[in-house]
Order: sequence, then structure tokens, then C-alpha cells
Amino acid sequence: MAESLVFGFLLSVIRLSAPMFIAGMGNMYCERVGVLNLGAEGMMVSGAFAAVLGSYLTGSPWVGVLFGILAGLLAGGIHALVCVEFGGMHAISGLGLTMLCNGIARFLCISIFGSTYSPNVNSLQTTDILAGIPLVGGFLSQLSPLIYIGVILAVVSWYVIFRTTYGLRVQAVGDDPRTVETAGISVWRLRYSGVLICGALCGIAGAYMSLGQLDRFFDGMISGKGMMAVIAVKMGKWAPGGILGTALLLGLFDALQMRLQVSSVIGLSPEMLGMVPYLAGIAVLCLQRGKSDRPAALDTTYLRNKYKF
Amino acid sequence: MKGYGKKLQKPQRKTVVDIALPFLLLFLSFLFSSIWILLMGKKPLEAYAALLDGAFGSATGLVNTIKKSVPIAFASFAIIVSMKGNTFNIGAEGQLALGGIGATLAGALIPGLPAPLHIAVCILAGALFGMLYILFPTIMHVRRGVDLLVILLLLNNVASYLLQYFVLDLFKSDNALVPSSRPILESAELPYLIGPPYRMTIAILFVVVAALVLYWFFSRTVAGYEMRAVGLSREAAYYAGIPIRKYTSLALLLSGALAGIGGALEVLGNYHCLYTDFSPGFGYDGIPIALLCGSNPILAVVGSIAFGALRNGSLTMQARVGISNEIISVIQGSLILFVASNYIFRYLLNRRRRKEKAHG
Amino acid sequence: MGYAIEMREISKRFPAVLANDKVTLRVKEGTIHAIIGENGAGKTTLMNILYGLYEPDGGEILVKGQRVAFRSAMDAIRQGIGMVHQHFMLIPRLSVADNIVLGEEPHRGVRYDGKAAVQRVEEVCRTYGIHIDPKARVRDISLGMQQRVEIVKTLYRGADVIILDEPTAVLTPQEIDDLGLVLKGLKERGKTILIITHKLEEVMDFSDEITVLRAGRHVVTVRKEDTSIPELTAYMVGREVHLGGHKQPVDGSQVMLQLDHVSFHQKGRQALEDISLTIHSGEILGIAGIDGSGQTELTELVAGILPCDQGSLTFRGEDITRVSIARRKAGGIGFIAQDRRRHGLILDFSVEENLLLGMQRREEFVRRRFLQDGRRIREMAERRIQDFDIRPPLRTSRASTLSGGNQQKVVIAREMGPDPALIVADQPTRGVDVGAIEFIHNTLVEHRNRGGSVLLASLELDEVLLLSDRIAVMYSGRLIGILDAAEATREKIGLMMVGRRPEEVES
Repeated sequence: MAESLVFGFLLSVIRLSAPMFIAGMGNMYCERVGVLNLGAEGMMVSGAFAAVLGSYLTGSPWVGVLFGILAGLLAGGIHALVCVEFGGMHAISGLGLTMLCNGIARFLCISIFGSTYSPNVNSLQTTDILAGIPLVGGFLSQLSPLIYIGVILAVVSWYVIFRTTYGLRVQAVGDDPRTVETAGISVWRLRYSGVLICGALCGIAGAYMSLGQLDRFFDGMISGKGMMAVIAVKMGKWAPGGILGTALLLGLFDALQMRLQVSSVIGLSPEMLGMVPYLAGIAVLCLQRGKSDRPAALDTTYLRNKYKF
Repeated sequence: MKGYGKKLQKPQRKTVVDIALPFLLLFLSFLFSSIWILLMGKKPLEAYAALLDGAFGSATGLVNTIKKSVPIAFASFAIIVSMKGNTFNIGAEGQLALGGIGATLAGALIPGLPAPLHIAVCILAGALFGMLYILFPTIMHVRRGVDLLVILLLLNNVASYLLQYFVLDLFKSDNALVPSSRPILESAELPYLIGPPYRMTIAILFVVVAALVLYWFFSRTVAGYEMRAVGLSREAAYYAGIPIRKYTSLALLLSGALAGIGGALEVLGNYHCLYTDFSPGFGYDGIPIALLCGSNPILAVVGSIAFGALRNGSLTMQARVGISNEIISVIQGSLILFVASNYIFRYLLNRRRRKEKAHG
Repeated sequence: MGYAIEMREISKRFPAVLANDKVTLRVKEGTIHAIIGENGAGKTTLMNILYGLYEPDGGEILVKGQRVAFRSAMDAIRQGIGMVHQHFMLIPRLSVADNIVLGEEPHRGVRYDGKAAVQRVEEVCRTYGIHIDPKARVRDISLGMQQRVEIVKTLYRGADVIILDEPTAVLTPQEIDDLGLVLKGLKERGKTILIITHKLEEVMDFSDEITVLRAGRHVVTVRKEDTSIPELTAYMVGREVHLGGHKQPVDGSQVMLQLDHVSFHQKGRQALEDISLTIHSGEILGIAGIDGSGQTELTELVAGILPCDQGSLTFRGEDITRVSIARRKAGGIGFIAQDRRRHGLILDFSVEENLLLGMQRREEFVRRRFLQDGRRIREMAERRIQDFDIRPPLRTSRASTLSGGNQQKVVIAREMGPDPALIVADQPTRGVDVGAIEFIHNTLVEHRNRGGSVLLASLELDEVLLLSDRIAVMYSGRLIGILDAAEATREKIGLMMVGRRPEEVES
């Protein structure tokens, strides 16, 4: 009994931290190329809604995920256009993007489904492909396949950042775009790529939340997960391992909160418990020390020559 | 947070471009939103006509527009003040809620005061709650350099839970149709400037007074000068011997207080109690206004009325044309994105002007 | 011998200025060619055009006789042109080899081949006789070393023409000699080198030919053998200038400022170590040293910007060790910070608001204890603009619209206007034109003649020698020695600047 309780709790920690981790992985690319992304929230909302829409229209949840990725890319494209191409202010763009995506998702949701809740659609089912693995197989087969994809992404991302030429350039452009440009590399192409990868990954994270955890979209479902991803990147020191650790920590608090709501052991109201994950995020943010790994050119604009006055 | 006061201000003296730009950006965001309206098979022009009619077409509409602009104006003041102190208070939405809680508590629990005094106490309570709410982020930001935007955005979520807890649990009214908090006493209700049927309270006067006081503070007082110096360049201000941490903290606390007052006025003037959704995002409305008005509080009042009109008119639009009033968020979000791209528009407009000059 | 580079009638206009006005430059292959001129003469613009960073508005560029059009630095690199910028273009977190190969990385598929990178860098170094450690991280190596990394970077990309922008600004005298050797070695191996500089001594040391620019125009191109420093100065400036002001004898018996065993740590590093010195009234105390020897920290510590970890400061008999910036200002210490754009001015403030900065709480500018006295402030601003000849003479213009020289005048007007007892100046003439330098020198010397004191830190040894009554030499955060101006020579100070004791220097 106790064992299954631990088992279930562990499962819920992983399930809850997955979107923060996947979006955090995306944000890592974004911040590593020097673009601050407070719009992760908006990208996730786009992904979540588009995924449901895709599944609703075609009946296939995987097409839904594809829709989610495309919507995330689109949102990322807007952020990239503003921050990379137009020399805009990253923080403001991120806020605007979040508001815009929330607005569009709500608007479409009401216009198409007539309410801020979408109807139930076909969602992603767990698969048995890993069930054969001894000891953990049973555990793994209860996780959404999107989590497998997330884990693969983490490994790939580590390799990409630290072992490839692209990664070398990404590290360089995050610290000093001017130097990168004088080395004959297109700063803008690099920055675009980082933001777009971020958009796609946030799209997946959003799709996971609407189709992997649930089977529908509702207004406010992302509520701060995007900001948690931003925190995870900072706390995780811009590296996949660190981000995974922070996401799990944040997920732990989320799972704890949910477990307490269900069991109502301590007499706290659900509203009070709802705050716990956010307060945990704030605590993590405040306890973070040292900024030496921060990309030096984060949150700076780098304009093309043709746009200079 | 570096240079918000600076980055967001106009780089040069006012030109035609500076004056035209906000209107152009507003126009573009309406254009962008039209796409979505068209996508849903509705007619944008019809929608906007309904919006305009609802906002300004009748005396009641006009009054409602002004009513809606009160909390928006205070949110924009809050953001302007934070920008002057070289930070950015994105948490106005949360502080608005806290201000509402403060005013409700003071309004409901302190009996026996004469009306003017009770109102003053309630407004102060709202200001105090808003200020207390931003105290922790301020300390973390000033002392430890914690990213203010991230912490404030998270706190907005916390505030929304706090508000729910307050309205649904802690201070709930037992005999209301819609879940709401206990009502404030009659002595705390704002008197009417124009009585029924319009029911316009004196809240708008607070807006005007606050705008004038802020304008005066920044342009005439020594502290205002010093705060502006900190806002434009923390480093240069420090080298000039100005206590920068003090001013950053002061700007944030003042900002929180202003947003708190906005929430308090909503309670005292409009609802006389709290609802979980008493603010449909007024705090966020302040952002584009503060950005577009070049942090001038008097212009911000004009901007707030425009946004009040959007909020108010969108209801008419929804009823008449059947377009969800969520389109307002689309307009706002795209407007903020256009404001963020400010630079490129300025560049394009200036280039056109230069070309014209070269030809003429 | 043909021309490696020919730039014909190059023009470039920026919104405010015509930076290059039909400039023609011809550089022979296998020579070292210096381009000299004052700040704002258009040297850097011209080189940025050659390197493809700017597109010229008019004129044409020929590389080895072939017409070329550069749209980006990449195009220039392909044509064999490399540039070493004044501010190094290196990523501190990456290794030397990573930095050098960036943009043309050896790779296997998508994988970056770090080992091959190190090998190739070593190869280039061997070919040209340059010593660097490819595996070191850039953030751990000295500026002189970083410059070599930059040079190797251009060579790795197959540069035949190497442009160096103010290459000696950050180097010690010894490193400058080493650089000379490296450059000569490159010349012998057939490379063409372009140096942008305003230091005439080095021009005479390094170069074969010299081109002088003034106010965006080409003045003359001469061979080194056919010219002299005075002649070049005249070409550069276009008129006679008198630097250094007119010193008059003053009574210098009073002690103005005393530093007693002052130390300061920063980021675990000893930035200032046990410094004791005294400044008298009617005296200019110059501080010489290579960049980063602690001069800036010393001036900022006296101004109160940095705290004093150990030791004490006494100003006119009063202990000011723990006194705030504002109170030091009010008590008579004026501070001209090194970086006027970041620390000295608020660029978005008007000239008037900048002139008030730091002075806003003085009684004369305050009414009723918290309001600004607009009339008095206006009067003050107009007086200062007139006294210090700030142009344009408008108190409402934004500081950002002023030229560098006039921005510096605003800072100096503000700090010296109230006639403080002590002026602390950190590189007050950095990046301003000769006219402004003349003015600043005169102002400082007049202040001294009136019995005031000046603490002057400068990287330009000539300036220190010209203005100071006594010269303190710093090295690595320590005070190596103090010389009287009479006994100071370039050579002596040069040796002390790299840490040799004055006693050793004597022998």
C-alpha cells in the first residue's frame, strides 16, 4: 500500500514536472542565444490550444501534437521577429506575446466551442513499448510518450550545446553577438534558430498539458508553468541537467500540493494550497546564487546594420 | 532590470513621429485583431463601430467608460512610477487585488467612522496592502538582484489565489447570489459626482489628482529629479551620490501603493464588495499605456480612458455583433508587441521622412 | 610592388556627420602602414568600411587590383582582410582555440572537432612564430596574450592584410615591443599590416608609410623616412596647439588629501594594496601606470564610489574614510569619472539637468527643503555653459546629442564649477579632440594655480608628464613610487610601470 503510494506520488512528480522541463529545455536555447523569453507561457498556451484543436478536427492526437508544435513555432516566430529582427525589448515582447496568445486561445475557444472549456478530444495514450524493461517497465509504461520524447530531447540538447559546432556558436552568440558577427557567422540566423526551437519545444510542452495530461483545453490551464520554465533555466544554470533537476523540484511541490488537496490531511483550503507551487518557484528563484553562467548578452538587442539610424 | 526608465523613453525631442506613433500602433493592433474577427466570419468594421458606440455613443456608455478607466489609470500610474525608478512593476494586477482586499477589510470591519474619514482609511488600507504585497519582491530585487519580472508574474498567480481564498472562504458573504465577499459599510462608499441613473462616483477625481501630483513630483521636486536620474541611469546616479537602492525601493513601494489604491477605488466606488474576478486584467492594461505615454502621467489618463472605452465598448460589441470580448486581449497583446517593436517603426517612419526631405 | 589595398574616394555619411569625405588610401603589399588622425578624424570608419562592417556611400575598394564590394565582414574575410579591434572580439568562457576557429570550425558532421582545432591553431602559431596556449580559457589570459589570439585568428582565416585598431592602448611598454616584433615577423612573411593609432611615437617605430586623416579627409601619405613627429602633429591638427597649460608658482604647503595605508579588495582580488600618499594644495599629482593597475580604483576610492577596506583617508584634516559620495562632493571633492557616458552623464537628461547632477541638494538650488529652485538652476546652467564654452550653448539640449568633447566639458563644468578644493580626474581627455584636450589641460592647471589640488590619472604618459608636479606610478594595485616632475623621465616611469622599484631604476 505504502509502496503504491510512493509509486503514484513519483509518477505525479514526473508528470507535473515534464511540461516545465520540456519548456525549460526550449527556453535554454532561447536564453543561450541571448533572447530573454517571458513569452514561454504564451507559447505553451498556443501549443495547448492548437493541439486540442488539431485533435478535435482530425481525431488524431498526434496530429494535435503537430498542430501544437506549429502553433508554438508561430508564437516563437513572433517573439523572434520582435526581438531578433526588430530590435525590440525582450521582456515587453514576452509579456505581449503571453497576453496575445492567451487572448487568441480564449477568443478561438469561445468562438469555436462556445465556452472557455473545449469539449473532450482524443488524447495521447500511454504505450507499452517500454513495458518489457525489468523493474521500471511497469512504471515507465504509465508515462505519456511525450515524456519519453522529453528525455530524448534532454540528451540531444546536451550534445547539441556542448559537442557540436552549432552549440559552440550558440554559446558564443549568447555572450557576445558582435564577436560572432565579425567571425562571419549570422547572428540573426542563430538567434532565430534558438527562439524557434524554443517555440517548438514550448508547443510540445503545451500539447503535453492538454493532450498528455488531460483531454481538453481550458482557459488558465497553463497558469504560470511557463514562468516556472524560465525559473528552471536560471536555476539550472542554462544546462539540461540542471534544468531537469529544478523542474523535478518544482514538480515535487506541485505534486505535494495536489496530494494534499485530495487527502485534505491538514485543514488548508484548496486556494491556499494552490499557491504552494508558485511560492516554491519564488523561493527557488530567491535562493539562486551566482550569475557567472548567465549568457552575457542575455536580454540585449543586436540590430542589423540596415536598421541603424 | 536595467534601464527601463531609459529604454522606454523617447530617445530624442518630440517629433511628428513621436506623436503619430502611438496612433499608428493602435491602428495596427486593431488591424491585426480584424484578421481573427474575419476568421470567425464576422465583420470587423461592424464590430468596431459597435465598440465605439458602446463606449461613447450614449451618456451611460460614456460614464461607464470613465468608470472602467479608473483602475486602469492607477495601474498605469503604478507602472510609470516603477519605470521612473528603473524597474518594471508587472505585478499591478496582483497589487490591485490586494488593494481591493485591504479596502474591503477596512470598509467592512471599522464601524462608526464619519464617511470622509472612513473612505480615507479604506483607501489608505488599499495602498498599504498593495505596498506590503510588493515589499518582499522589492527587498529581493534590491538586496539580491532577483529578477523582478519573474517574481512579480508568479506573485500575480499567488494574488489570484489569495483573492479566491478571501472571497470564497475567509471573508465570504453568506447571502449573496454570486460568490462575493462581505460588503463594506455604507460610510465607506464613495459619494456620487453624478447621481443615478449614471452613478458616477468621485473616483475619477482621484485619478486626476494623482496624475497632477505625480507630474508635479517628477518635474518640480528634488526627490522627483533624483528618482528620474536613477531611472535613466543607475550608474550615473550612483556616481552622483544619489542613493539608488533607496529610490528603486521607493519607486516600487509607491508603485504598489498606487495599484492598491486602484483596487480600493473599485471596491469603494463600484462593487462595495469583492468578487474573484473583480479585475478582468486592469493591471495588465496599464502596461501598454505606460509604454505608449512615454511615462507621462497626464497622457496616461488619456490612454486609460481609451482602454476603459475598449473594455466597456467590447461588452456592447459582444452583445450586438456576437464577437467574444476576449478580442480585447488580442488587441492589447498585439499592441504590446507593436510597442516592443517600437524601434523598427520609428526607424521606418524616420527613414521615410528623411527620404522626403532629401527629395524636397 | 603592387597595392594590397586601394580605397578610392570613399565617402560615408552618418546622420550627424560626414565621417569620410572622398578619402583615398593606397597600401603597398608587404608594408606596415599607419593611419593617424585625431578622434573623430574618420580612421575607424574608414577601416570598418574596408572590413565590410559599413557600406560606403561613395567610392570604390580594390584588393590586389580587383574591385570588390563588401556587404559584410564575411566578404572582407574572404578577400583576405582581417581585423583586430580595439576592444577584443573574444568570448571569455571559451578556450583560445575555440575562439580562433569560431566561424570556420573543424568538424565531423555536426560534431565540433576540438582536437583538430587545437592542432590547426598550433600549426598557424608555428608558421608565424607566435606563442599562445590554445587550450587556455580566454578569461584567464592577459590582454597582451588576447591580442595575439586576435592576430592568430586573422591568420587562421588566411588574412593577407591585417588591420589593427589602436593596438597599443591596453599594452605595457614591454608588450608593445613584443607586438612590434610580431608585426615585423608578419611583414617578413609577406603580410600587409594597417595600424590605426593616435600615438605618434609608435607610428615612427612600427610603420613604413603613414597616412594622415583630418576631419574625415585625407591630408597626406608620407614615408616614415621623409617625416617627423612635429610635422605629423601639424598635419593631424591643422593648427598649432599648446597642451599642458601655463603653470605658475603657487604655495603648496598645505596638505589637502592624505591616504594612509589604503587597501581595497574586489571579487577576491586585491585591487589596491596598502597605498599611502599625500596631495598638497596647488599641486597636480599625476598617476601613471598601464591600464588596470588600480588607477581607476584609486580615484573612485577617493571620490567615495568604492569603499575603503583598510586604512584611512583624510581630507583637509578631516577623516572621510566612511563619508558618503554626496557629502564628499559637498565638502569640496570634484570627481571626473573615466567613463563619462556611463558614469559622468545621464545621456537622456538635458545639459541643465546634467549640470545639476550631484548638486541637486545644495541649498541654493532647493526651495522649501524639497522643491527645486528652477530659476537658480537655470541661471547656474547658463553661467556654466558660458564659462566652459559648451556647444551648442543650449541648456535644454539632450546630453546624448553633444560631441564627446562637449559632453566632457559638461562633466568638467559641473565638477569644477563650484570650485572644489580637490579635483579627482580619471583620464579626463580620453576620446576627446585636441581642442577639448587643450581646454581641459588649461582648466586643470588654472585650478592648480589658484591653489587647488588635482589628482590626475591618465594612461597617456605624455599627459601625466606634461601636467603633473609629482608623478605616482602604480603597478598591479600597488604604489611603486612617487617622483618629482623634474626627475621623471619616460624611461624611468616606463620601467616603474611594469613594477620595477625606483631604486632599481636609478642604477
